[in-house]
Amino acid sequence: MKRLMVSLAGAAALAAATFLTPAYAADKGTIYYLVPTLLDEFQTGSVTAIEKFMGDVGYKTVTLNADNKTDVQQGQMNDVIALKPSAIVLAAVDFNALKPQIEAARAAGIPVMEFDRQITSTPSDLTSVAGTVEIGHVAATEIERLLKEKNGAVKGKVLQVLGDPGDPYTLDIQKGFEEKMKAFPDVTIVSKPAMQWEASNAGSIVSDQLLANPDIDLIFVHAAHLAVAATASLEAAGKKPGEVLLVSSNGAPVGLDLIRKGWEQVEVEQPLFAQAAALAMFADKVVNKQEIKPGTYDVLGLEGTVTIESWGPNIKLPGAAITKANVDDPKFWGNMKTPDTKVAPAP
Amino acid sequence: MVSPRRRAVIEFVLDHLVWFILFAVVTLFSLTVPSYFQIGIFANIVEQSTFVATLAIGLSLLIIAGYMDLSVESVMALAAMVTGILFAKSGVGLGISFSPEWLVVPISLAIALAVGAVVGATNAYFVVRLKMNAFIVTLAAYIWGRGLVVALSSGRSAQELPAAMRVFAIERFLSIPLIAWVAIVATLVFAFILNKTPFGRHLLLVGGNPVAAYRAGIRVDRLTATTFILAGAIAGLAGWLLAIRTSGATANLGIGMLFQTFAAVVIGGVSLKGGVGSLTGVYAGVLLLASIQTAINLMGMPAHFTQLIQGGMVLVAVLLDTVKLSIRKKLA
Repeated sequence: MKRLMVSLAGAAALAAATFLTPAYAADKGTIYYLVPTLLDEFQTGSVTAIEKFMGDVGYKTVTLNADNKTDVQQGQMNDVIALKPSAIVLAAVDFNALKPQIEAARAAGIPVMEFDRQITSTPSDLTSVAGTVEIGHVAATEIERLLKEKNGAVKGKVLQVLGDPGDPYTLDIQKGFEEKMKAFPDVTIVSKPAMQWEASNAGSIVSDQLLANPDIDLIFVHAAHLAVAATASLEAAGKKPGEVLLVSSNGAPVGLDLIRKGWEQVEVEQPLFAQAAALAMFADKVVNKQEIKPGTYDVLGLEGTVTIESWGPNIKLPGAAITKANVDDPKFWGNMKTPDTKVAPAP
Repeated sequence: MVSPRRRAVIEFVLDHLVWFILFAVVTLFSLTVPSYFQIGIFANIVEQSTFVATLAIGLSLLIIAGYMDLSVESVMALAAMVTGILFAKSGVGLGISFSPEWLVVPISLAIALAVGAVVGATNAYFVVRLKMNAFIVTLAAYIWGRGLVVALSSGRSAQELPAAMRVFAIERFLSIPLIAWVAIVATLVFAFILNKTPFGRHLLLVGGNPVAAYRAGIRVDRLTATTFILAGAIAGLAGWLLAIRTSGATANLGIGMLFQTFAAVVIGGVSLKGGVGSLTGVYAGVLLLASIQTAINLMGMPAHFTQLIQGGMVLVAVLLDTVKLSIRKKLA
């Protein structure tokens, strides 16, 4: 009897302590983040950022990795629906294949937020994306500047190394880049995809093209880890830093290192922190099924634009150009310093 | 009745068919693809063949011995990542250095080989000692190996290997980078071992008929275990070379190379039933695939055609194998 009383007293004390902590006061439930893969730094960084920012606004985040497999992610969605979480954050492996699961989740009353990969074929509760087409625009603007500095006019030859041609991320960047470069007919663009985003494939493309097109002025690769292989091929071909200009996108740490070493001139950042923070800002509204109003919002110092699209509220965040002048700025996710700034729920 | 001279010619052609196909394909591309016919492009083809060629050595040895090894790609990635983490200076690299600096070359190579050998020994333990199915054991190693790469790196990259290592990717001999020479020498060494040493002959015998080989006094288990360890170590070598080529490692490094390696091995004439194969033929198979890949890089052809063509070539290779077998039967 005495042992039972002691146990009950202990349990009561533990419960009281738990109730009195701010963490409990802020515990609004669990959100599942379905990450497509953990094979690159953007994805691993997104896990840290989403868990941190969702924590700021009172949600616990559980992350499930689909290992780039659509069927695995479909299964994860089905499992998570059965667990009835406060919401699901989905970065889809395959945009179309996850549509039935998104609809099933929403039919079960579970809000779905899309992270980074926009699904337009079915409504969701919030989509937070980088403007990938706009990243292409920013890259084009920077490339325009670099070619002008090098050749006295916007002319020359650009090798564009895409990622996997099955990935809309790279196709959107290509679209944005090429539509803006149309204004410069004296620029020849040679585009080649690095299958499966694999670095050595990018290295091979650069090696071959340096021989087929020895007058390449600039290489534009769609991810920083491909830039590393491109640099290795440039080095193996006897080139010095800056001899062939290099521009990359996504803002991964290795890209920033290449800028510091002079191999790369510009990295167009995909605003990972802001994309993740935007989800957290609107999490309460999404979970409580409140209206998200269109307009501009300050997200970690960036101007995010919310529009109401046929697939639901959509917040788009601009990418920024990283050069040698600003490469050490901690606001860039590639510097791997998750912002201390606490995200507050949107009013 | 075929004359002995004619029979010898036919057998020579059958034995070296893949080289003839390679010659025909390269000639075709040289005539039709702009910029293809130049020394630099051929050097690139040899360079790009480095990793698949190295992986194919170990895989071929095991297939010849009658076993499958699906783990080689992950072992390569693991060895590359361990090399990157220990010796690269950026990202997750610890940047371990030595004085004199060149010591990093043998030490990193030894570590990469050891990583591969340990995985190979693990596979061997399950297959030889516990009599588990090699396909499943190595499939598991393929999965856990890549998982270990991700876990070790946390999905991040290790970049910027020391200059002493990068020399192998930058310096050239006869226009070909040293990393590619490493693969060529390894192929020739193991081709010699396979054809001219008791180990190689026993391997062919075991692959052809393990029961007969056992009755002939060959220590089949020991031979199999040694081959698994060798295949792992060679995959470790491929990882070391790949890390040097890309000056580090990313978590998705080498992804998809297993299938290219299998394609090259089959195209190169190694029988999936075991007991038959030549490593120089496999090297020709690797060059053939790299030649096509390079032509696609230079042409405006959509990249999706690469896999379509490679898949088609594997089917043609298997078909040719059947045709070769029937011609040989007729000759006999």
